[in-house]
Amino acid sequence: MKKKVLAVLLGGCMVAGLLAGCGGGDTKTTDNGGDAAESDESSGGGDYHFEVVVKSFQSTYWQAAIQGIDAAKEELGVEVNTTGPNAESDIADQVNMLNNAISQKPDGIALAANDQNAVLDSLQDALDADIPVVCFDTGVPDAPEGSVIATIATDNEAAGAVAAENMYPVIKDAIANADGQVRIGEVNQDATSANISGRGMGFINKMKELIEADGKTVAVVGNQFYVDQVENNGDEGSADVIIEVAVPAQTTVELSATEASNIMNKDDTIAIFGSNQVTAEGVLTANQNLSVLAATPEEGIVGVGFDAGATLKAAVADGTLIGAVTQAPVDQGNLAIHALYDYCEGKEVEDIATDSYWYDAETMNDDNIAPNLYD
Amino acid sequence: MANKSVSKKAGTNKSFIDRMGGQQFIVLIIVIVMFIFFSAMSPGFRKYTTVVSILDYSYYIALMAIGVTFPLLTGGVDLSIGTGLICYSLIGGLLVRQHGMPVAVGMLVTILIGLIFGVINGCLVALMDLPPFLATLCTCMITRGFGAFVVGGYGIPWPAAGQEGGWFRSIFKIQMGGQNIPIGFLWIILLVVIMSFVLNHTKMGRYTRAIGSNKEATRLSGVNVKFYHVMAYVICGLFAGLAAIAYSAIFATVQPGSGAGFEMDAIGGAIVGGVSMSGAVGNVTGTLIGVFVICLLKTGLPFIGLTANWQQIITGFVLIIAVLIDIFKRKKESGQ
Repeated sequence: MKKKVLAVLLGGCMVAGLLAGCGGGDTKTTDNGGDAAESDESSGGGDYHFEVVVKSFQSTYWQAAIQGIDAAKEELGVEVNTTGPNAESDIADQVNMLNNAISQKPDGIALAANDQNAVLDSLQDALDADIPVVCFDTGVPDAPEGSVIATIATDNEAAGAVAAENMYPVIKDAIANADGQVRIGEVNQDATSANISGRGMGFINKMKELIEADGKTVAVVGNQFYVDQVENNGDEGSADVIIEVAVPAQTTVELSATEASNIMNKDDTIAIFGSNQVTAEGVLTANQNLSVLAATPEEGIVGVGFDAGATLKAAVADGTLIGAVTQAPVDQGNLAIHALYDYCEGKEVEDIATDSYWYDAETMNDDNIAPNLYD
Repeated sequence: MANKSVSKKAGTNKSFIDRMGGQQFIVLIIVIVMFIFFSAMSPGFRKYTTVVSILDYSYYIALMAIGVTFPLLTGGVDLSIGTGLICYSLIGGLLVRQHGMPVAVGMLVTILIGLIFGVINGCLVALMDLPPFLATLCTCMITRGFGAFVVGGYGIPWPAAGQEGGWFRSIFKIQMGGQNIPIGFLWIILLVVIMSFVLNHTKMGRYTRAIGSNKEATRLSGVNVKFYHVMAYVICGLFAGLAAIAYSAIFATVQPGSGAGFEMDAIGGAIVGGVSMSGAVGNVTGTLIGVFVICLLKTGLPFIGLTANWQQIITGFVLIIAVLIDIFKRKKESGQ
């Protein structure tokens, strides 16, 4: 009896699967047909179909980018379909989505890659199928020649440097007057995506440069990926300042918080930087128990965040974090669609580096900053 | 097969370890040894605030684990608790954040949706005879997608401490004399005591074990097997709902799409604590102690300078050892 029911259920599932599969296939064919016809007309008119693959639907950051995409869609009267995996660590899922997007034969693809290496084969496929790709948010440095027509991204190295430049004046005296070693922490979500690693290295290099300009020595320790990229790394034993880089095993707030607590628990820590929304919230979660974040190194640990979101904004507003760096997600989404459109219209497109801004309790309501501070 | 644990207890030639509670006792010793080890290795770890952090991050895992002990005892499993937790919390939080409902209502809805998914899992497994692994894998996917769909992809911040409605965060942690007091631990202990009673002294508990031991024999002896089998999953759903409250109270923002993998910490904790994957054997106290092994590994290893990836590798090995102990014990008991 039990087996029969199971067999019937499984059979049912298979039939349903077949039907769904066929159904899906059917609609796809008609879609393609329709699109092809439209593109044919569009050489004169401009009725394009673009596929967008974002990093995840997880963070509100991407919702802000999608706002920009939707605005461009309205402005240009194009058809845009947006997909993305559940989490930024779902690299394989995203590659699948990208491959699906390519198989739809759209007029162009906008991609925010989670892993700059995992998408290389797919980009070659897109090139072979003559589908132009615009990378936004994150560049793919090793992309096959000609596959990526433009990259619209925050200059992440510069964004990381902005965090260092604004943190350094606050901790400068503490470094100059320290008796022994002092420690600056950095929590990075991963060591796989170009923007996080660029941002992480941007912060490290700028901080190192600023500290060394004042005659102190720096050693970078922690996650091997980051440490290996540091030029002329100092000796951990004798350096005046230690920059400790931590990367959690998964991109959860909890694991980021554990990594942050570990650094914030050390007596010589004077500052900490969480290089995206999840890790900055990890720093704040750790602080719930430690209560060490403060406006100056004399009172505690100086915290700096990255991106926005309700929690981060509240922490900047009440001074728990001295400030944070925000990017321009709305602009990036918008510009990506515009670049694809221009390319299809036969215009020249080129890389655009979008700005990133430092914001603190006083400047967060300014006109050039507030629109990018999504909840 | 039946009454494995009972027959052993009746024996007179019990070893010292068995008299002290068997595997639970060993695991408790392991927890203490781990704690001492990490404290000795890292000055940061032996701080009071670290203890509070470990407790903070353990509540939601402990609650999920208490709940999942019931399906495990029936010989089943519930894989939907991790993504479910996030889904319930997102929906409850959405009501509070965007529809201006009081936090208490949001919490009730959160628990209620947990219960509903418990009923769904129970029906799929007990009434429609779907294999538990498959049924709950499906609800795992459904809850993951459903939560993200309902909130439209936006992370949901439940009210922060100090904001209007932020009182619910003090269910788990209160400030006293400038220190954080992790009172959530008391609630966990209380729930463990209650659920231990349910498991060992009520029909619900006895039949749960009986189903895991021999479902057909239980049915033939006149027990409404279907009802109690569904109830095991309902209890699990209820505790996933409670875990959702704990998660929302500890962490600032609940992110849609997350939660996959949380269930493995809970199930892993239960198994380390002596709950058998093949059903009938195990109890809630063991589960709680097992959860602390998992949580200590998670928190402790970064403190002694090992990357968090080691936590997953080492947890994997700990689980293998725990399962081997279970198999070894059963062989011994069956007289080999």
